[in-house]
This record gives sequence, structure tokens and C-alpha cells, in this order.
Amino acid sequence: MAGRRATLKAIDWMAFAERVPPNQRAMFNALKTRSDALSAKLTSLPEKPPAIDWVYYKTAVAKAGMVDEFEKKYSALKVPEPVDTQTDKITAQEQEAAKSAAEYVQASKSRIVQYEKQLEKFRTMIPFDQMTFEDLNEVFPETKLDKEKYPYWPHKPIEDL
Amino acid sequence: MLSRLGLRAAPAALKSLAPSLSVGVLHASRPFHTGQHCLAPLPPLPEKGGQVRHGLIPEEFFQFLYPKTGVTGPYMLGTGLLFYLLSKEIYIVNHETIAGACTVGVLIYIVKKYGGDVAAFADRLNEEKVAKALAVKNDSINHLESIIEQEKKEQWRAEGRSYLFDAKRNNIAMLLETNYRERLLTVYNEVKKRLDYQIAVQQLTRRKEQDHMINWIEKNVAQSITAQQEKESIAKCISDLKMLSKSPQAAV
Repeated sequence: MAGRRATLKAIDWMAFAERVPPNQRAMFNALKTRSDALSAKLTSLPEKPPAIDWVYYKTAVAKAGMVDEFEKKYSALKVPEPVDTQTDKITAQEQEAAKSAAEYVQASKSRIVQYEKQLEKFRTMIPFDQMTFEDLNEVFPETKLDKEKYPYWPHKPIEDL
Repeated sequence: MLSRLGLRAAPAALKSLAPSLSVGVLHASRPFHTGQHCLAPLPPLPEKGGQVRHGLIPEEFFQFLYPKTGVTGPYMLGTGLLFYLLSKEIYIVNHETIAGACTVGVLIYIVKKYGGDVAAFADRLNEEKVAKALAVKNDSINHLESIIEQEKKEQWRAEGRSYLFDAKRNNIAMLLETNYRERLLTVYNEVKKRLDYQIAVQQLTRRKEQDHMINWIEKNVAQSITAQQEKESIAKCISDLKMLSKSPQAAV
């Protein structure tokens, strides 16, 4: 009987639910219902089957030796535990997920750094009423008038005015 | 006398009016644009222009003459200059003078009456432009901050992936356990079924044997009762009944 009972880890479904992004909620609900169904089924089954009353059967059954034979074979019988084929896959999935999550976190961090840089640019900007046009073009390069492409005033197509 | 004073004071004043009139005075020894580029943002333009007295003459002129001539100095200078020009007919009064005076009067009236409103309007236009730009800037800042918040939240979400795999492993364990228990239960049930079957078969045979035996015995007994025995037994039964019927009558 040893090695059979991999103890079930208590899962905090509330905390889990918080971390699920809204677009994966349906999958989460499906998982939860499946888990609940499984645990209900598990609790409905007894851990050990009731013991067979051999004494009664020995007195009741007329055939000699049959009950003894049954008893011997029954107690000698070892029900094989079901083989666990999926846990390795799960562990592999977990590692892959860890890797992709690490990559995602990395990318996310670099994105945050970019955003922070832009935020800094905005925060340290001189106020608009103290800017010259040169300063404006520095901070917002898209406002720079292209004097080569449109050499005549207003230096941009009339539609953009 | 006053005119001579004005005449002598004018060139000296003109020469040293460096702060106000240095446009025409260009010393060759003062080069421009030779220093390092000053990368600091330029100081903002002053809010108000230089102070001006009577709309024409800058305040610095009065301050400049104050140490030597006191408060009335520039006025005396002005008056003297004016009388000199008029008396010497350097400036001639004619029709244009009147027209010019009227025009200047009307202009001054208009500026004094509506100047404030026009200035406020122009300021409002400028402010709207600046406000629009500021709104854009604030929106961008808020947007960036919210995006950063969201990214951090997504990172926090990704940390919770261990829950998923724990749940999956739990499911697997539960499945295995359920399966094992089912197998045990099946074994038990099968063995019990077989034993019960044996017992049931035994009981059935016994009952059948009993029934058969009873039937056979009854049949044989019925066969063995010959007609004579039947008559004898019926006569005996009748005489017993008569005896019995006599005694209860006595008892009642």
C-alpha cells in the first residue's frame, strides 16, 4: 500500500480564480467542474472494501475446501495499482510553461522599461509655454516640419493643416 | 537756456544710452556665437515687457537721468527739446499736425478702451493651444501608467501557473485512487457473488430435494392406502366422532 497515496495538495481555488485572466475563464470553470466531479466520486467510494466473513461461508458452503481455497487466493491477491502515465507529461508541461512564463516576464519587463523611459520623457519635459519650436521637435519628433520634401510654407500638405 | 541745456545733454545722453540703443553701436571686438552651445533650456520670456512711461519712453531712461537731474529731469529735457524744435521751426505746425494729433488721440482712446479685451482674447487662444497640448501629454502619461500597471498584473498572473499544474496532478491522483478503489471493490464483489452463488445453489438443491421427497412420500403413502384400509379408517373415524359427540353434550 505504500507509494500509492500521493497525498492530494490542497488547492486554494479562490486564489487560483483571481489569477485567471478573463479570456481563459471558461477553461478554468471546466477544470474546476472536472476536479469537483472527480473528488466527489472519490469520496463516494470506500477506501477499503468490507471484509468477507469467511467463517460464515466456511460453515455455509458445503463443498469442501472451496471456501478455504477462495480465502487463500483472496488474501493472496494483490490488486495492481493503476500505472501513472500522465504525471511525467504534466511535469514536462510545467517546465515548458515555466520557461515560456519566464520569457513572457522578461519581455514584459523590457516593455515596462520602455514605457518607463517614455514616462520619464514626459515627466521631465519643459512646460509647453516655455518651449521653442526646436524644443517641441525634440520632444515630439513627429511635429518636425520636413523642409526638404515641402520646401515652401507651410511645409506640409494642405490637407494636414 | 533750457534749450542749450537740452542741446548739451542730448549727445552725452545719446552716446551712453547703451542699454536702450545699442543697435547701431557695434564694437568689432565683441564677436557673436563663439561660445559653447548652451544646452540648457533658455530662460522663459518675461511675462511683461519693459516698463514704459507715457507709452513711449522706457523707464530706464528716467532711472538713468535720476542721479543727476532728479525726478523732473527727463521732463525738463523733453519740454526744452520740444520748445527748441517749435521755436526754431525745426518742426513746423501745419494741417498734418492737427490730423496727426486727432489720429493719435483716437488711437489712444481705442487702445485704452479695448486693449484689455483684445489681449485677453489673444491670451485665451494661446491658452487653448497650450491646454490642448497639456491634455495630450497628461493622457499619454495616464495611458502609459495604466499600461505599466497592466503589465505588472499580467506578470503576477503568470506567477500563478503552479496552481494549474497542482490541480492537474491532483486530478490525476484522484483518478488513480478512484480506479484502484474500484478495482478492489470489483474483486470483493466478484468473490462475494461467487460464494453467495454457491450458497444459493446449495439452498436451492436442498429445497428441491425436500419438495421432491415430500411429493414422493405423499404419492407412495396415497398409493399404499388400499381400499379396505380406507373403509376401516373411515368406520373408526365415525365411531370416534360419535364418542366425542357424546361426551361434550354431557359436559355442556
